Amino acid sequence: MTAITMGDDPGGQMVDMTVFTGERSMAGYRLNKLSASLIDPDNRAEFLVDEHAYCRRFELTAEETKLVIDRDWTGMVAAGGNVYVFLKIAATVGSNLLEVGAEMRGETLDQFMATRPPQAGSG
Amino acid sequence: MGQIVGGIGVSHAPSLARAYDQDKRDDPEWRDIFESYKPAAAWLEALQPDALVMVYNDHVNQFFFDAYPTFALGVAEIFAQADEGWGKRALPDLRGDTRLGWHIARSLVADEFDPTICQEMVVDHGVYSILPFLMAPPWETPIVPLAVNVIQHPLPTARRCFDIGAAIGRSVASYDDARVVVMATGGMSHQLHGPDFGHVNPDWDNEFLDLLESDPAVLCELDHSEYMRRGGAESIEVIMWLAMRGALGSGVRNIHRAYFAPMLTGYGLVCFEPG
Repeated sequence: MTAITMGDDPGGQMVDMTVFTGERSMAGYRLNKLSASLIDPDNRAEFLVDEHAYCRRFELTAEETKLVIDRDWTGMVAAGGNVYVFLKIAATVGSNLLEVGAEMRGETLDQFMATRPPQAGSG
Repeated sequence: MGQIVGGIGVSHAPSLARAYDQDKRDDPEWRDIFESYKPAAAWLEALQPDALVMVYNDHVNQFFFDAYPTFALGVAEIFAQADEGWGKRALPDLRGDTRLGWHIARSLVADEFDPTICQEMVVDHGVYSILPFLMAPPWETPIVPLAVNVIQHPLPTARRCFDIGAAIGRSVASYDDARVVVMATGGMSHQLHGPDFGHVNPDWDNEFLDLLESDPAVLCELDHSEYMRRGGAESIEVIMWLAMRGALGSGVRNIHRAYFAPMLTGYGLVCFEPG
């Protein structure tokens, strides 16, 4: 069998990650359910009219509601949110993956873009 | 008997959808990427497949965590495009091949694979972001989609993905005289959450492409943690490419290969023929 080299370098980069386990999925269930509901345009419209009411509809806790209102993507990951799902909140409020990602890195969008290769596309 | 005439492994990414919709073919940042799909599209057209088996993952658009299937096979006349939150793109629905679909369902279960069978299923950017580059819409070639859980752990192993692909290969061999292409999508290295958002690893991605062609058994033995450590948590999608490789049998001929990592995701592409 072929030896694999990449990543077996002890000096290689370690990636900081929050693996979306079953337990995390349970913890973030309400938040993810709200986020997933935004695939429906009527739900997006309802969310935009009154975010607090929409969070009550999905029985979010006060802490979870604050994460939504504040667009606290890092907090959502910690609370069991899944990035593919809470991106639907970003979509609903006119944001996008790059802005969400820059926030999670603690950077502005411009700072993040400066870290990308020069031939950058858009995600 | 049916025949697997080709296999495609390719990254999906929302950015590809945007580049297509905004027609970035002449944009200097995108030109080479657009060009890299053209030989694959020409090859696929020349193969004239009767159906495509499409191995991909849903991004919580069809399925939610109330009931999240490990493997889900779509058997329907039509697969509509999912609205992922940004609204639908100006692309047609996909046609399904129900006869082949039920045949694969029967043979997979007889072969001790137990997918959820879906008679209604929307399909998201896991297919829609990349298919227009490889096949011009409207799409006449019908599909049989197989959605794989690569999001909520526990996930199927890399070996399991290879094996279900091999079972699809056996299923097609026991079908009528049809020419089938197996396509698997999934981003290569990428991480989309946390402080290492944007992690890509082109060296690992290219090593994966080498091994996929020459020694996929090595890739089957890797744990999820090994994939994620190299390519980032969300790069685990790439295990779906092993289903395509499994469907093709022991040896393959590489027809076309391309790789770019311009931004957030390794965009890989391989086209194989059996042999």
